Amino acid sequence: MSRATLAKKNALPLKEAGLFKELLSQYENRLLKKGLKTAEQILKKFPEHGETLCMKGLLLTHMGRREEGIDLVKKGIRFDLTSHICWHVFGLIQKADKNYEEALRSYTQALRFDSENINLLRDSAQLQTQLRLFDNLVETRHHLLRLRPNLRQNWVALAVAYHLNGNLDEAKRVIEQYLYSLKNVPNYDVELSETLLYYVNILEQSGDLSGALSELDTKSKSRAIVDRTAVLTTRARLLTKLASPEAGDSWKALIDHNPDNLESYRGYLADQGVSLDDPTSALEAIPHLKAFAKTYPKASVPVRLQLTILPASDPEFSTLITNYLERALKKGVPSIFADLKALYSDLEKRKIVETIAENIKQQNFAAVEEKPSKVDEQKEPTTYLWTLYFLAQHYSYVPPSTTVVPNHKLALEYVNNALSHTPTLPELYLLKGRILKRGGDFLGAASAMNEARILDGQDRFLNTKAGKYLLRAGMVEEASRLFGMFTKKDAESPGHDLEDMQSLLFLLEEGDAFKRVGKPNLALKRYMAVKKIFDTIEDDQFDFHGYNLRKFTLNVYLTLLTWEDTLRSHPGYVNAAIKASNIFVEVSDDPSIVKALTTTDHLSDAEKKARKKAKKAAVKAQEDKKSTQTSNADKELEAPPPKDDDPEGLKLIASTDGLEQAAKLLQPLTKLAPKNIDVWLAIHDVAIRRKKLLQAVGALHKAASLDAEHPELHIRLVDLKQRGKTFSDLPAPVNSTFTEELEKLIPEAASQSLENYNAQYLQRHSAESRCILAAAKVAKSLSGSVQDVENIVFNVFGPEVSLDIKTALSALSLLVSLSSQRKDEFRAAAQKHFEFSTAFKAPSELEEMHKYVLAESTADGKPASAESTTPEKK
Amino acid sequence: MSSNNTTTPLKVSLSSITPNNIGTVRKLNSVLFPIKYSEKFYKDIQAPEVEDFCKLGVFFSVTSDTLRAEQLITKYLVYYNDIPVGTICCRQETVDGQNVLYLMTMGILAPYRSRKLGSQTLSAILTAAAAHKPKVDKIYLHVQVSNEDAKRFYESHDFKEIRVHENYYKKITPADAWVLEKAFS
Repeated sequence: MSRATLAKKNALPLKEAGLFKELLSQYENRLLKKGLKTAEQILKKFPEHGETLCMKGLLLTHMGRREEGIDLVKKGIRFDLTSHICWHVFGLIQKADKNYEEALRSYTQALRFDSENINLLRDSAQLQTQLRLFDNLVETRHHLLRLRPNLRQNWVALAVAYHLNGNLDEAKRVIEQYLYSLKNVPNYDVELSETLLYYVNILEQSGDLSGALSELDTKSKSRAIVDRTAVLTTRARLLTKLASPEAGDSWKALIDHNPDNLESYRGYLADQGVSLDDPTSALEAIPHLKAFAKTYPKASVPVRLQLTILPASDPEFSTLITNYLERALKKGVPSIFADLKALYSDLEKRKIVETIAENIKQQNFAAVEEKPSKVDEQKEPTTYLWTLYFLAQHYSYVPPSTTVVPNHKLALEYVNNALSHTPTLPELYLLKGRILKRGGDFLGAASAMNEARILDGQDRFLNTKAGKYLLRAGMVEEASRLFGMFTKKDAESPGHDLEDMQSLLFLLEEGDAFKRVGKPNLALKRYMAVKKIFDTIEDDQFDFHGYNLRKFTLNVYLTLLTWEDTLRSHPGYVNAAIKASNIFVEVSDDPSIVKALTTTDHLSDAEKKARKKAKKAAVKAQEDKKSTQTSNADKELEAPPPKDDDPEGLKLIASTDGLEQAAKLLQPLTKLAPKNIDVWLAIHDVAIRRKKLLQAVGALHKAASLDAEHPELHIRLVDLKQRGKTFSDLPAPVNSTFTEELEKLIPEAASQSLENYNAQYLQRHSAESRCILAAAKVAKSLSGSVQDVENIVFNVFGPEVSLDIKTALSALSLLVSLSSQRKDEFRAAAQKHFEFSTAFKAPSELEEMHKYVLAESTADGKPASAESTTPEKK
Repeated sequence: MSSNNTTTPLKVSLSSITPNNIGTVRKLNSVLFPIKYSEKFYKDIQAPEVEDFCKLGVFFSVTSDTLRAEQLITKYLVYYNDIPVGTICCRQETVDGQNVLYLMTMGILAPYRSRKLGSQTLSAILTAAAAHKPKVDKIYLHVQVSNEDAKRFYESHDFKEIRVHENYYKKITPADAWVLEKAFS
């Protein structure tokens, strides 16, 4: 902290002023205890000295006495509103609280009284970057450079600030001056190299392509730019943009650098006027790719690209794919199916692959004999094995947006054959689990995954898979036990550790599992934990505003900032936001959900006991924490993670501002995930309940532009039309716009008879199970007649209809929610439809089956105790 | 010291049995042998005293000469193209003051037989045993009297039949077993 002259009217006498100086230096050297003593010494005589009070508060906060400290700081400011030290301290604490806006305000106050304080300015700049206040950032950086022009970092920092503020010309000018002033730079200096590359990027972005190229060429020749890959990529990109004849060679150099980088091929072909995204143009790529395949026989990209481009009818395709597949199966490449399945969108290619794989299987088949008389050295038993593995995946996979009917039964037969051939390959059990899952046997799937896990107790991937499948099967506690083999032993629970480790997979899957087993409170808790992770990631960038500039890693820093701005487009966030807002909406529609959760009547004795135990444990953990709090170690300024006073998520789900929270969750997605129809549907659901009619109808417009016939949209439209009648008390302009917009989505004529409208929808989509289910839900809301709903729902078993497990399960839960008499009939029909499924069994039956999931089947078929076989974690 | 298997293909590798891959061993045993082994068997083969002289890296190849004398491994998983396809388990015993190795189980999955995997595995054990300190005096094992092939296999590795152990097997017939033995000089 700066020792600029203290404010006049609060000036301390000489002795205390000396003590105060000492206090400042003690703080800077983190001599917390000593500092505290010094502060108290001053306060004895001058108990109302604001700056000392603030410093004492700061010290206390560092020592873990947070609340006391903050109170003191606030008190101190009140005594001395014109002290930069007071405001600085307050800003520090707010910054540590991640309250960046308030912190910046305090810093600005502090700067009013000490405008040349380097520390204040630097911290302000970081806050301004975090808050994306680029105008102010430029100003601050300018100020810093004027104060310390000899610090190199200040130059690039200013350039970056201009750049972020969109002023490329100024950014360029600053960098140029900076480069000009540099003297005696050692060879191979990474800092300089980075700065030069950044300069080239600025030139390129400001449109001076030839300038950028010549700078790149001279500086890479003089070895000032040392990042070879960056030079090659930038060069190729620049030459292509300049339409230079050298561009082709530059891409070739990149391909030579790494012959398995698809982007380099893309660049080369684009330069040759070939676009891979346009099927007719792409054909012209073939001769080029053939040449590359010859030059780089080990690279897979040139061959794999040809497989995508060549039409299935071309005999060349068959030859290439045969070699490609055979080589992989002989070598034992487990991922070969994942590699090739993208080709399956062309059903003819799928057929060809199937024939070839079946052939390879035939060729390598060897009867499993006890004593083979003669061994064909050319036939590796593993080739046969991997071929079975490939084909099992093949038969159970449905390429997206095709009408392929999966043959899970055949797939299962193949994988079982493979298992009797070699029962020790974990991949086979994983696949078996996946096939069973697709067939609706979630319990069998979890069991297969567990078998794979037991084969290798050290493999966390297998462990996580087994845990995930248990969650899918609704066995939350068992899953947690498995996860616990790999989580920290001293964590409160495996779940806590996984949350600390920011495992989105775990939080989302466990949230879904809780939702399925009727614990929306815990589900919501997990989804909100996902949101918190994204908040943390966003906050974490703060440190980089200082770090990257200090290290001169400018190019990645700018990429980082852009990435942070689009952070919440991550599928994990989108998923959690939608699901959390769905729960908030459900609760707002039916507050009795919360009531049912908070009364303990329905709990079994065991559950009550568990709850008590958890409470006790929480109290104890709190006490433990207290007992450690007396130590003097520096706790840093950041607040310790607040005690979770709502471990069950009951307060969360009962929030009175649930819909507002939901709206906030969804808000960033309007820009970051505008192509996701579920986002718009969720936004509508929240908006309509918050009486934001125009936003609601606008969201449906967006949804309709993505897929006008989407089943969930159909439900919303009818619902909105019904609700529309009750919105008569709105201001006239809103009301008329709303009616107008709604009219565009669902014509007034249709609303005369929504029943008819629904019937027409059903007719249009009579072969799509999701649409049938939507029509059934609409019928429920229109007439409320259970019989109507039943009549529609059972259409999903029609011979023309493609029915999937998920839809069938939601249809069943619709019937259950209506207490339909025909729900058992539905269970039976679904069971018949999904032959080896267990998902449609009655809850009591499932309960019984849970017992056998983790039991290892022994040779005589009886389940052995799972406990004794569980490998211990090392 | 070097291994005597310089001609073997590189596809085979062995790794020692640990608590973590015991599930694979169980799976193999359940397919390979007509007997269901007790929990004690599995406990024994991962017991600390056996572990004591098995300080071996998880993976090593028979072809490389990593088998060092002090690292006598008495239990292996056999890998073929990185897939576990067989096991071998020995036990150390002291009989009449002699340091003896008893070969408890050895087996290779049916589709992978007749590829000299068994030979390579057994050779690895024999080589290691011969170089072990303190000295291993001999190695012995039981073979069911109906299993001529197995007997021939061991004889080709210089094992000698020394007697017939009558009623050795309790639950399978024939119940008698040959005792085969190989002494180390």
